[in-house]
Amino acid sequence: MMRPSRLTCEQTFRQLNDYLDRALSAEEMRLVEEHLETCAQCASEYRFESTFLDELRSKLQRIAMPDDVRSRLFAKLAADKKPGSPGS
Amino acid sequence: MSEPAVTTEEPTFEELLTPMLDPAYGLAITLTGNRADAQDLVQEAALAALRGFGTFQPGSNFKAWFYRILTNCFYGKHRQQKRRPQTVDLDDVPDLYMYARTIETGLHRQTDNPAELVMGRMNVEHVQRAIQALPDDYRSVAGLYFLEDLTYEEIAEALSCPVGTVRSRLHRGRRILQKMLWHIATEEGIVSQLTQEGANT
Repeated sequence: MMRPSRLTCEQTFRQLNDYLDRALSAEEMRLVEEHLETCAQCASEYRFESTFLDELRSKLQRIAMPDDVRSRLFAKLAADKKPGSPGS
Repeated sequence: MSEPAVTTEEPTFEELLTPMLDPAYGLAITLTGNRADAQDLVQEAALAALRGFGTFQPGSNFKAWFYRILTNCFYGKHRQQKRRPQTVDLDDVPDLYMYARTIETGLHRQTDNPAELVMGRMNVEHVQRAIQALPDDYRSVAGLYFLEDLTYEEIAEALSCPVGTVRSRLHRGRRILQKMLWHIATEEGIVSQLTQEGANT
């Protein structure tokens, strides 16, 4: 079987978001990777987008539920399980 | 000697819920835009989930199941009636928006990773402000993507919508976030500070 030809910059650009989300097939991922290894411009765009997403993710994932809110929540859940409560 | 009996007890509701509380709270802040409403939303969702736990199929995706309840609670009650007036035009934001702005402002001459430079100066509040500019349906997708690293399929399951809708909202949402974050970075003086620092080196 013939291997698909290499991707152009335009084709790579169109797949960049799905590549960042690892939402392409193994073969499609390989073709994008191959292009990024040989094209400095596309690699620069990819690095930018990838860093942007990682930074956003790491900032948002720092949010933690305060301990007092957590305690109140579990107290509510426990109370709701008691006989006679609305959810029992 | 006989082998001890192996019991495979299903995890309790609390055991399933506990590891999800931080990301669920983060998602609730992302959706409601403030901590007080976020606390109410998580509590309402947790109580609804506890009361409906009998319908949860053991072994199926608890995360997707709980997030569906949480987003339904949001759409049912907490959804903001009034959005703050938007001063930034968010229609048709082009791809690579922030990349193009960092070229224009010369940040690529300072570093080979300008995204790190700009985003490194931004804090969680800046990011939350930017997220509030997204339409509700985009915020729920972005929240699940960034806070829980869910796949397109898992997000679609949690939000009961097609995978293609998740994909397009996520991609457009990211472009909007880039434009809003750049706007905030400019407004807060971060961009001018960075270009000044570059000029001084």
